[in-house]
Amino acid sequence: MGQEVEITSAGGQVWRGTLVPSHEMSGERIVQLKLASGYNVGIRVDVADRVVVVTPSEAPDGLAAAEAVVPRTQPRETPTDGVPWIALLTTGGTIASRIDYRTGGVRPVRQESELLAFYPGLEREGPVRIRSVFDRLSEEIGPADWVVLAEDVGRAFEDGARGVVISHGTDTLAHTAAALSFAVENPPGPVVLVGAQRSPDRPSSDGASNLAAATRLARDPRLGEVVVVMHAGLDDTSFAIHRGSRVRKMHASRRDAFESRNAPPVGHIDESGVHLTAEARAPTGEELRIDTRIVEDAPLLWFYPGLTPERAEVFVGNARGVILAGTGLGHVSSHHLSWIRRAVDRGVFVGMTSQCLEGSADPYVYATGRELRRAGVVYLGDLLPETAHAKMLFGLGRTNSSAELAGFLLEDRAGEFVPRHFPERAR
Amino acid sequence: MKVGLEVHQQLATTKLFCSCPSELSETVTGTFLRRLRPTTGENQNLDPAVAFEASRALAFRYEGTPDNCLVEIDEEPPHSLNAEALDVALTLSFLLEATPVAEVVVMRKMVVDGSNTSGFQRTALIAVDGHLDVGGRRFSIPAICLEEDAARKIASSSGEVVYRLDRLGIPLIEIATGPDIANGEEARAVAEEIGALLRATGKVRRGIGSIREDLNVSTEGGRRIEMKGVQDLRKIAEYVTREDGRQRVLLLAQEELRRRGASAPVGPAVDLREAVESVPSGPLAEGLRKGGVVLGLALPGFHGLLASPEGSDERLGREFADQVRALGLKGLLHSDELPGYGVDADAVARIRSTLHAGPTDAFVVVTDRTAERARQALEGVRQRAGQALEGIPPETRDPLPDGRSRYSRPLPGRDRMYPETDIAPIPITAERLRWVASSLPERPAALRARLSREYGLGEQVVTQIVAGGLVETFETLAKRGHLPPIVARLLTQDLPDAVAKSPPPEPVFSVEALDAVLRATAEGRFAKEGIPSVLLALANGAPDIDTALARGNLATMHRSELDALATRIAISNAEMIRTRGEAAFSPLMGDLMREVRGRIDGKEVAAAMRRAMERLEP
Repeated sequence: MGQEVEITSAGGQVWRGTLVPSHEMSGERIVQLKLASGYNVGIRVDVADRVVVVTPSEAPDGLAAAEAVVPRTQPRETPTDGVPWIALLTTGGTIASRIDYRTGGVRPVRQESELLAFYPGLEREGPVRIRSVFDRLSEEIGPADWVVLAEDVGRAFEDGARGVVISHGTDTLAHTAAALSFAVENPPGPVVLVGAQRSPDRPSSDGASNLAAATRLARDPRLGEVVVVMHAGLDDTSFAIHRGSRVRKMHASRRDAFESRNAPPVGHIDESGVHLTAEARAPTGEELRIDTRIVEDAPLLWFYPGLTPERAEVFVGNARGVILAGTGLGHVSSHHLSWIRRAVDRGVFVGMTSQCLEGSADPYVYATGRELRRAGVVYLGDLLPETAHAKMLFGLGRTNSSAELAGFLLEDRAGEFVPRHFPERAR
Repeated sequence: MKVGLEVHQQLATTKLFCSCPSELSETVTGTFLRRLRPTTGENQNLDPAVAFEASRALAFRYEGTPDNCLVEIDEEPPHSLNAEALDVALTLSFLLEATPVAEVVVMRKMVVDGSNTSGFQRTALIAVDGHLDVGGRRFSIPAICLEEDAARKIASSSGEVVYRLDRLGIPLIEIATGPDIANGEEARAVAEEIGALLRATGKVRRGIGSIREDLNVSTEGGRRIEMKGVQDLRKIAEYVTREDGRQRVLLLAQEELRRRGASAPVGPAVDLREAVESVPSGPLAEGLRKGGVVLGLALPGFHGLLASPEGSDERLGREFADQVRALGLKGLLHSDELPGYGVDADAVARIRSTLHAGPTDAFVVVTDRTAERARQALEGVRQRAGQALEGIPPETRDPLPDGRSRYSRPLPGRDRMYPETDIAPIPITAERLRWVASSLPERPAALRARLSREYGLGEQVVTQIVAGGLVETFETLAKRGHLPPIVARLLTQDLPDAVAKSPPPEPVFSVEALDAVLRATAEGRFAKEGIPSVLLALANGAPDIDTALARGNLATMHRSELDALATRIAISNAEMIRTRGEAAFSPLMGDLMREVRGRIDGKEVAAAMRRAMERLEP
């Protein structure tokens, strides 16, 4: 790789260029050349073709050496004596990924220096201590990682950070935000999760502006809760502040994919500054508590027409709890009543949420709901299914009693319940 | 002089990476604001053209239209490459005898001037090493590419550029020639032949802006420059000639600078407020009055080289002015045009002394609201002055309506190209090539020969029909029994005239509508001279031919009506007929024609006029 070659086909066509790694999805016997014009092309090389190496690879300028040219620096210690600083915990994801030209995918950056190269303006408003916690795409982040992150958030505040920013892949960013809402109690400053829907190797990446908005918010002493900051719309100048326990990724690719459900965002950020609503939670002044007791494996079951009770029962297995995402007001087919009764009798917690994602699960409107409630299903109001799931895992870590677990889940701990639903649907 | 062409033709398929229609729109459904940041390519180098655009730090407002989807606004990954557009590109590869690649790799060409919402233009090399014969000469075609068109620039102010998204993503075929073209006339001929080839596919968009040319020009001893977006083919010759003149003047200046042993200026920009404070009027006084800054830069050894040399309109001073204009300033003043613009000899002397500029040195002065931008502008001048010692800098230039061109940005290099990873490479299979080869359109040269043979048409009109992409319409109408010369005239003269005279939007005539017009004249309902008026009336909204005839007062005249008119004209000009005799025929015929044109055949009119004159003569 990286050599300049000249390939003469049997038909007499001459191709001259630099050998670059072929795409993962390239065909057989295809080599990829970068021509002098900058274009890459796929050339079929047959046995009869003549291949001459014109110049050998000139690393580190060659393409294969792209990884090697990433500047390798010592971990940086930002001088923070007396100056207010914030922590940036990186976990990987698009916001901290660069393109892999061979596979065509993106890979997380592993170095603080790489991140700073993407976001040169990061410290414009003050020092940022960067700590790389993981370098994973967010579909690889799970409950065990929530624990690590919660502990790191606690450590950052203990070390004196005014706020904490967590850069995270967007796929499960809302899950992690919900989890941290329950694991980090009484945060003395903002805990801001942020991501990007476009990788930072694209000029149009939303990563830089999202991160700038997030670091700005993290310095705001008025906020003391876990939130998500992402684009509010198509503009690069307006950002929504979503409560971590009420936010959901609602689009696969748009910059404004994240939406608050059941209530509007708790604030927004634009060129004029940070604007918080009355709903935004200020620091309580009480002692910060990081409670990471958790049971990692218990299911979230999305009901669908045709789901057999047998499959559902197998899926739940020996778990001590299950969150159901039921239809409408929180229903599953009455065929499921028997296994649910058996599970409840065994002491398994069964919680019900609505797969409508907005509005409350309510057992009293239809007969099915009433029967489910009688069978012991706990209706969880307007908790989002994913929020209820994360909350249940922490609840399972705190108690063995299904009744206590119900109490834990039904108690508002981080503003995850919305008592009044208004006609306007601001997201 | 060496000239190469890049022809960009929009295709009439759906867009290249989504299924939105390739149509422009005047309806704006909403706008949004974005910023772009430069990023490095796969080998971690920042391209100079990209760095330049980024230095302007603009915000971009995009206007959405009813037909835009999330792909154009960079909110959804591109869909797969439009297969029909790829087939058109492969068709061109065959027509130009080029070699297609085995696998098409879509690239991102970084462009952060906002013309692409993503910050890059997607482009792919489809075939290489073709050729084209024009006028007995062979021209090389090193590359045929398929790329997406950029957003349409609507407005621009100092901090914000407005683009409309309708044009973004329309497939463009780019055909590049080698630097084989000798002059402007030849460039035009080659461009026209490439245009005819493209239209032969029947898949190209028509109308203003649907085909655009970039010119690559270099003169003997000069360097290659790229002139972007020449829309008017007739202007190519002029652009090439003017560019040749510009490069010659720059080379002369270089020679003189070398003779003088001049060196590149080192700067820095100097504040000239004190030196020009007493200047009563002109741009500098104006700038200071508005609270701006006045900065100057000395150019050692440049004295006398900034103005135009004898016999030329080109000058180095304009090159410097272009640099500051590219950053949004109005222009600059240079020492070769001073005293002037309110700056008197004393002020010039003060400026010289502040800048430590000697008698062999030149200087430039700019004014701007912000010191930062003025400093950036003079840094551009400083660099450009350094390049003057090297001759002609490689750059991208914008063609201007008067035949000149203006600096727009440095010439981009390979560092701005990196693979579009959202799209897997597309294999060009043998089956696909066989299929494309089996459905090739007739080549323009063969087509021209056949049309003149089959329909007995002259060379010029055949060329017009082929170049205009009118072959299919022509043959359809001719095969329906209309006389070929009349159809040819309809398509190459009457129709373009009617279109030109109609208010926008451009009227579109279906083959059926044209057929109806020709049928009506063949049936004697109006004379063929009336065709332009009928077309114009139809273009202006006449629902059918009868209405068009009535509006144009074109229904065929009865012979007796014509005779009555002719007689009236003869009587009122009796004196003239008596004295001038036969010589009076032509002017009177002209009078009569004015009254009846289009309603009756010209021969009939002449006969009627003659009869009337004869009846009058004693």
